[in-house]
Amino acid sequence: MTEETTEENEIVRRMKHLIGKNVLESEVPRPRRIFILINKKVFTKTVRYLTKKMEFSHVSTITGADVGKEIEVIYHLNRGGTIELSLKIRVEKDKPVLPTITDLIPGATLYEREVHDILGVIFEGHPDLSPIILPEAWPSDVYPLRKEWTIKKIQKKVTKGGKR
Amino acid sequence: MSYPTIRIPFGPQHPFHIEPEYFMFEVDGERVVGVKPRIGYVHRGIEKALEDRTFIQNLYLIERICGICSHAHTTCYTQAIEEILGAEIPPRARFIRTIIAELERIHNHYLWLGLAAHEIGFDTLFMYSWRDREIVMDLLELVSGNRVHYAMNTIGGVRRDITPEIVEKIRKGLDALEERMRYYKKIAMTEPTISKRTAGIGILKPKDAIALCAVGPTLRASGIKRDVRADDPYIAYDEIPFNVITYDGCDVISRLFVRCDEVFESVNIIRYAMHHLPEGKIRIKVPKRVPEGEAVSRVEAPRGELIHYAKTNGTTKPERYKARSPTLGNIPSLCKMLVGGYIADIPIVIAGIDPCFSCTDRMAFVNVNNNKQWILSGEELRRYAIKWYRKE
Repeated sequence: MTEETTEENEIVRRMKHLIGKNVLESEVPRPRRIFILINKKVFTKTVRYLTKKMEFSHVSTITGADVGKEIEVIYHLNRGGTIELSLKIRVEKDKPVLPTITDLIPGATLYEREVHDILGVIFEGHPDLSPIILPEAWPSDVYPLRKEWTIKKIQKKVTKGGKR
Repeated sequence: MSYPTIRIPFGPQHPFHIEPEYFMFEVDGERVVGVKPRIGYVHRGIEKALEDRTFIQNLYLIERICGICSHAHTTCYTQAIEEILGAEIPPRARFIRTIIAELERIHNHYLWLGLAAHEIGFDTLFMYSWRDREIVMDLLELVSGNRVHYAMNTIGGVRRDITPEIVEKIRKGLDALEERMRYYKKIAMTEPTISKRTAGIGILKPKDAIALCAVGPTLRASGIKRDVRADDPYIAYDEIPFNVITYDGCDVISRLFVRCDEVFESVNIIRYAMHHLPEGKIRIKVPKRVPEGEAVSRVEAPRGELIHYAKTNGTTKPERYKARSPTLGNIPSLCKMLVGGYIADIPIVIAGIDPCFSCTDRMAFVNVNNNKQWILSGEELRRYAIKWYRKE
């Protein structure tokens, strides 16, 4: 096992030490990549710990994915340009609310707005969640990257059956 | 006595880029006191479209995310899919990908130098650098058959080989490109026209650069040594020696020097890669069906860190695919740079992060007091800036 692999495993070990059973899944598929699924209730504590204590100060981006009944929000956090930690949190589709991380990492502003636009996740405490990608006139209940909104269905709703 | 501030909308129309931006500026006299960005005006829904197409079809769609960094995007995409497939591409393919990636970087930086020179009214440099940019475009055409959208990458390797004759031609082209860039760097260092418009303009302090998650040359010009090629090596970068260029001026001229020096590094990388080009196959056959899995793929595109996230479900189509291009990562930092600067510096500061801006930008000035409004195109704003500086 290389030295780098131990570093990633060490990070996972420290995370498990911090939040115990709230680490639901963890994986180190290759050097410099970590995937961790955590419980939503320890989210703020974990992000604070990662950014303040473990130097994961760069957020590469935030991905939102529809995983059935829930929405998976993935924070791609980076340490020193090398290790990319993908921190996953699942929120219910009916009530997709997460606290913002912009107070810890101001660079996450646009990424959170993007996830809000395309999947309807509300980031509590975000200074401005106005549309960043979708037009102002976009219907408020259409979240284009949710699986129930197929391309045909969106076209029908947004362009009123193909007619503008 | 305080005067009310004036709001100025900037943008949005950009026929050729994924991310055309719109900015609402708040100005107090000549000073910018607030900026609010808005993107998405030609959002093409690529992420949704990717979920509806096969992995091979997606290769073509990914190529078209950006016209300039098309190779960076496909490299990022193919290595994500290859990682999930567990496919190891042949060494020759890795080296060819590296050569194209660095030619693309040289192309981008020459293009940027011309655009930046144009923004500050130094059109001679603009013409010269775009003339020399043709050298690298010809090389790319020679290798790939295309001037842009090289279509060299495929899942499992590359589509075309580099023959010894092509290597010889690239070598000659590189000599010319290196010599010309040396000349431009000398001009940038000695010409007062450039230093007056770029030195001390668009300041981004290192602590802000980190907090706002800046990427690429913008970050490196603030003195932070971070480059995906060195920190998280992919394709052949772990086998090729090169330096990560940093400058600590934190201003536009530092961003210019970073890009000039990166061209020299790219030239050396290509020379090394061509000298050590391994023999063998250029691609392997991979299955059409990709097993369930996920991957995060990172590439140092000419403009900075590019990150893709892929999630597959065992079919021939991805479950979720996310791409974040470097310009989006640099917008928060750009807003920081603009605040406190002059209106006349807006064009060069925006050009400083290299955001794929077209000159069709239009800008409306609204006087809040009497609602009087007039519209300036990007071109008129550029002229305004030149005139404003001439008065001084």
